[in-house]
Amino acid sequence: MSEIEQNQTPPSEGQEEPRIAVYTCYCGGNISEVVDCEKVAEAVSKLPNVVISRTDMSMCSDAGQALIEQDIKEHGVNRVIVGACAPSLHETTFRGAVTRAGLNPYLYHHVGIREQDSWVHHNDPEGASEKAIRLLSAGIAKSRMLEPLESIKLDAEKHALIIGGGVAGLRAALDIARRGIKASLIEKTPFIGGRMAQLETTFPVDEPAREALGGLIDRVVEHPNITIYTQAELVGLHGYVGDFHATIRQDQRGVSEDIADAAMAACEIEVPDEFNYGLTTRKVIYRAYDGCYPSTPAVDWANCPDGRLELTLDGKPVVLENRPETIDLTVGAIVVATGFDLYEPREGEYGYGILPEVITLPQFIRLLALNGDAPLEWNGRRVKNIAAIHCVGSREVDGIHEPHEDGSLNEYCSRICCSALLHTLNVVKDRYPDINVYDAYEDIRTYGRGHEDLYIKASHQAVRFLRFHNEERPTVNRENGDQPLLTLNDYLTWGEEIEVPVDLVVLAVGVKPRAIDDIISMLKISKGSDSFLAEVHPKLRPVETAVPGIVLAGTAQGPMNIQESSAAASAAAAKVSVLLGTGEVELEPFVAVVNHDLCDGTGACVEVCCYEDAIALETVTVNGAEVQRAVVTPANCVGCGVCVSACPNLAIDVQGWTLAQYEAMIDAIVGELPTLEAAR
Amino acid sequence: MALEKLQVDSLIVGGGIAGMQAALDLADQGYQVALVEKEASIGGKMIALSKVFPTLDCCSCITTPKMSAVAHHENIQLLTYCEVQALEENGGGYTALVEKKPRYVIEEDCTGCRECEYACPIDLPSDFDRGMGAYRAVRVPFSTAVPQVATLDIENCILCGKCEKVCPHGCIDFTQTARHFEIETTAIVLATGFEVTPKDAKKEYGAGQFDNVIDGLMMERLLAPTGPYGHVLRPGDGKEPDSIAYVQCAGSRDATLGIEYCSRVCCMYAIKQAMLLSGALPLADITIYYMDIRTFGKGYEQFYQTARAMGIEFVKGKVAQITEDENKNPVVRVEMLDEGSKIVERTHDLVVLSVGLLPGYNPGSLYGVPAADDGFVTVPSPNISPSETARPGIFVTGVAAGPMDIVDSIVLSGAAASEAAAYIEAHNSRVAVSESKGKKELAHV
Amino acid sequence: MSTEDKKTRAQLLKQLREQYRDTVDRTQALLKEHNAVRKEIFKAMGDEPRTVPEIAELSGVSSHEVLWHITALKKYDLVAEVGMDGEYYQYQKVKGGAS
Ligand SMILES: Cc1cc2nc3c(=O)[nH]c(=O)nc-3n(C[C@H](O)[C@H](O)[C@H](O)COP(=O)(O)OP(=O)(O)OC[C@H]3O[C@@H](n4cnc5c(N)ncnc54)[C@H](O)[C@@H]3O)c2cc1C
Ligand SMILES: Cc1cc2nc3c(=O)[nH]c(=O)nc-3n(C[C@H](O)[C@H](O)[C@H](O)COP(=O)(O)OP(=O)(O)OC[C@H]3O[C@@H](n4cnc5c(N)ncnc54)[C@H](O)[C@@H]3O)c2cc1C
Ligand code: SF4
Repeated sequence: MSEIEQNQTPPSEGQEEPRIAVYTCYCGGNISEVVDCEKVAEAVSKLPNVVISRTDMSMCSDAGQALIEQDIKEHGVNRVIVGACAPSLHETTFRGAVTRAGLNPYLYHHVGIREQDSWVHHNDPEGASEKAIRLLSAGIAKSRMLEPLESIKLDAEKHALIIGGGVAGLRAALDIARRGIKASLIEKTPFIGGRMAQLETTFPVDEPAREALGGLIDRVVEHPNITIYTQAELVGLHGYVGDFHATIRQDQRGVSEDIADAAMAACEIEVPDEFNYGLTTRKVIYRAYDGCYPSTPAVDWANCPDGRLELTLDGKPVVLENRPETIDLTVGAIVVATGFDLYEPREGEYGYGILPEVITLPQFIRLLALNGDAPLEWNGRRVKNIAAIHCVGSREVDGIHEPHEDGSLNEYCSRICCSALLHTLNVVKDRYPDINVYDAYEDIRTYGRGHEDLYIKASHQAVRFLRFHNEERPTVNRENGDQPLLTLNDYLTWGEEIEVPVDLVVLAVGVKPRAIDDIISMLKISKGSDSFLAEVHPKLRPVETAVPGIVLAGTAQGPMNIQESSAAASAAAAKVSVLLGTGEVELEPFVAVVNHDLCDGTGACVEVCCYEDAIALETVTVNGAEVQRAVVTPANCVGCGVCVSACPNLAIDVQGWTLAQYEAMIDAIVGELPTLEAAR
Repeated sequence: MALEKLQVDSLIVGGGIAGMQAALDLADQGYQVALVEKEASIGGKMIALSKVFPTLDCCSCITTPKMSAVAHHENIQLLTYCEVQALEENGGGYTALVEKKPRYVIEEDCTGCRECEYACPIDLPSDFDRGMGAYRAVRVPFSTAVPQVATLDIENCILCGKCEKVCPHGCIDFTQTARHFEIETTAIVLATGFEVTPKDAKKEYGAGQFDNVIDGLMMERLLAPTGPYGHVLRPGDGKEPDSIAYVQCAGSRDATLGIEYCSRVCCMYAIKQAMLLSGALPLADITIYYMDIRTFGKGYEQFYQTARAMGIEFVKGKVAQITEDENKNPVVRVEMLDEGSKIVERTHDLVVLSVGLLPGYNPGSLYGVPAADDGFVTVPSPNISPSETARPGIFVTGVAAGPMDIVDSIVLSGAAASEAAAYIEAHNSRVAVSESKGKKELAHV
Repeated sequence: MSTEDKKTRAQLLKQLREQYRDTVDRTQALLKEHNAVRKEIFKAMGDEPRTVPEIAELSGVSSHEVLWHITALKKYDLVAEVGMDGEYYQYQKVKGGAS
């Protein structure tokens, strides 16, 4: 115990002679198959202040970490370096080990020799080994100058903002609220529930979607910690984890409950109803569906000319106008649950947009819901034959499929369409046993628990499966007859060309990211190569973004079914609870510090800084005189170092990454080194 | 004699990746957690894997730090080599009776130096290496085991005492017996994982009798840097294989075995292994016989297309039978669906069965949570509450809740932790309310 | 260790042996079998680098079993991998290791 205290606060620690331990990790072969780790360890062991240089199969393992702890305790090591994977993976792991042994965590320095070396130079082992030595030498040079630092502790607002009121947003809000943290949920549309509300029944349990959703909505609405804002959007954000300031714009609902029904009756403007994917129309004063929440109808301002709506109620003219309100919320964390969009086939893709018989799966689901048990008719004709096509707008391959307008390809699998389609085809077969159903696919991906049963059931119900190759997808044309013709080479029957005349073609369209570039730029989060929101690491931090305090829930991150969206949302809630549960958050200490002996208040730093309230000139008293000096607000500083380069007096440094440390690193990288040869 | 008692907020059963993650997600929120693992080390199936899809991180890079974090977390009590033997309800929570099996090694003093292991004369087929390698009757389970403590396998010991003689710390203790203690907990998270299809399940594929027909987990060991041979060699005779074939759905989607479900991870692990093999053995031909390729996850389809572009051969076809030629090369009889369904026989050096995932443990009678027809724990409302079981306060995660990969297991563990936390909070406030009521009544008296 | 302690320990081991007689007997038989097979394997190896099929051929032990023993011996440093002959690795006894 005394050892810990001694190590953490001795005034002399900065000056104490550095005793550096260097560990070169094999990374289970990832590094050692290219880099000669033993030689590297031997070479760096000759550098000044290095008292220990070891290798290990896997430094991040418990045994590897124990080695570090032991060396600190037994050999008086006071600086630790591990040459291993990228710091984003395990820097914190090793800081933990160092801390356990009683050393300040910031006396640890991480050197990446996997991503930055062995993985990129696997064709040049000699060169890679030398690079490892150089990188480690630079690390050692910096390490000599490291000083103990304290992380920045800030009060955290026990309040989270959830963006998006689909099943994921609702689930996240509920879980956060149940942990005693306030949750504010904003939903862009007038009604919560997202796309789940548009389903009739759901796989894998054949349950009415609105019943399951309604149960969740009830719990959310009843929870005292949750506030719901509909017709609300995020329009501004600043601050940082624990203390984000969000500006929300909320439209007016437009009508009150007492006049709602009369107003709906009086309203004359009709627009395509997105709830039914354009199969029907609705008024611009509307309820999305029976039993929606909130139950009060809302005015769809975007479809009212000039944002106003003129009505005649009881013979009197009434003008409804939108006066949006601004709401400011201070929250500690943000959950992004903005959901997904659907792929809209191009005109002519499988006849879409040209042949009225070609519709999308979501449209078909709404059609079945609207139709109820009545005989199925479409386009004025009784439907006897249906063809369904998988992977529309998904699994596109470069060189085979035509890129979209913006040059992109949807290379990913949309994950939900196989099961959603088979579930729907089973509904058709249950309801209309006489309808012939053809299903054209490349792979049937009923992967989830209970999903394979959908496939088995469809086969038993005589859904006729046809298999195409991704390179030669089916076509839909109306040639001479009056029915559209599905044509494909069917590899379940020797690859022969098959033509099927049908009355309805259902396209299993893929899932797409929503257009939320405004949110992405306000939150400073990023998209992956598939354009869905990116997590930090799929296994280590699967629901977190690179911005502390901002987490992902549901299909904003990638295709997921309801179950997976709920799980991801609950997992996101767990992260929020970890973050805000104690009412305090910790930030890394790598922020700018100003030496007031050198600063003469030029303000150059303030001018170049891109972050709000990170650095400012303040009046301070120096030797009895009132002068202007730059002052940093650590919580807002990201440690980018732009101010360091702007300061004419070299008065600013980023602690933990000082100019002097950089210089030492560069000198070490370009300087003479104990080469491989010398080590041999 | 009163039993030792441990009081926690949540008990986690199973120390695979799912259980570890649930433990960490609860402990990080400040709850007290006990993690009970039946084996001598935590890590589960994942610690034996080579590299993991979709990122191809080396498996230990992901697993070992989590194992270490679990071992060092101030809010986690790690209880390895332990099993829950009985469970009782106690006023809104549960009391578990736990047995700690004797290691015959004094855990507190053992440093994991492995002197005992070197001294032991008994070599046994190593479970960790799926029988291909060996370990001794007394051993540290594997190099990255947590805890790093030796365990003596008394059932395969001749009691010669050699280990006892060489141990520098006097840790070997043949007098140890099982210990019992109780854990009082509010919530329970089941993370008991899976086993793979037994080797002898499929008669058509040789019922486990062919040395050069192996399963996916064995290939993981062959590919792992710590694998038994140090190279990819076939177990029949140590040959470096030139031609390797994968048979998909070997034990899944198979009505004849009564397993109709899809095991969800096998497409991806086969493709991953094929990619790793083409790195390890650049000249080898690799074929994957499949019915449907199910690469549904984030980035998985791209992974599959990369494998195709690398030259791995994907053949849509049902493998009807595997036989062996006179040189012990497996011969695969397959209906080639893309070639007019003609039936061909192809000889390979090594065949890997992409075996499926079966439930690792049936918690039914002990925990009172039913299993569904597929054998995995029933989740009554999977859409909205994917980790809630039929019994209040008991949650489930990882493969115990049905086949899933590591990414999905980790996410579901976060969900289970969230549900458990909410349950604990509700329970604690109920207790607080009834306690304060109790006080009031007392004051009246 | 005092004579007293030695005595109790010996007694204890005896007791345990009694309790685990069946498993001890089974394991002892296994050990005997392993030793016999290994004798054959080592004889076949001589002091040369050998592949698994070569050892199998010379010893009459199945190549699958040879590989397992070589793997076990290699793990505990009694045999080393020394090179490659075609598609097979070669193994050799470690001096001072194998008997
Ligand atoms: C045809 C089809 C059938 C399906 N069938 C099934 C099934 O049977 N079973 C199953 O499990 N899954 C099914 N799914 C998948 C299911 O719909 C999704 O998993 C689920 O809806 C995802 O929920 P979410 O909350 O992530 O997204 P969403 O449902 O899209 O909800 C997102 C919400 O965020 C709001 N929002 C968006 N941007 C903003 C913003 N900037 N500010 C505020 N709010 C915003 C949206 O208005 C919406 O309400 C199906 C999907 C489709 C397409
Ligand atoms: C060949 C193969 C390759 C794979 N490759 C990948 C890959 O590359 N990427 C990927 O994402 N996934 C992969 N997977 C899937 C991955 O292995 C699983 O998703 C993951 O291991 C599941 O973890 P778990 O914790 O649920 O189960 P397990 O790992 O099985 O852990 C369960 C733990 O519980 C313990 N336990 C069981 N019963 C009890 C009990 N009654 N009391 C106490 N403890 C108990 C067990 O001993 C075990 O430690 C692969 C699977 C296989 C078969
Ligand atoms: S889920 Fe099925 S239909 Fe959808 S993209 Fe994937 S393979 Fe195609």
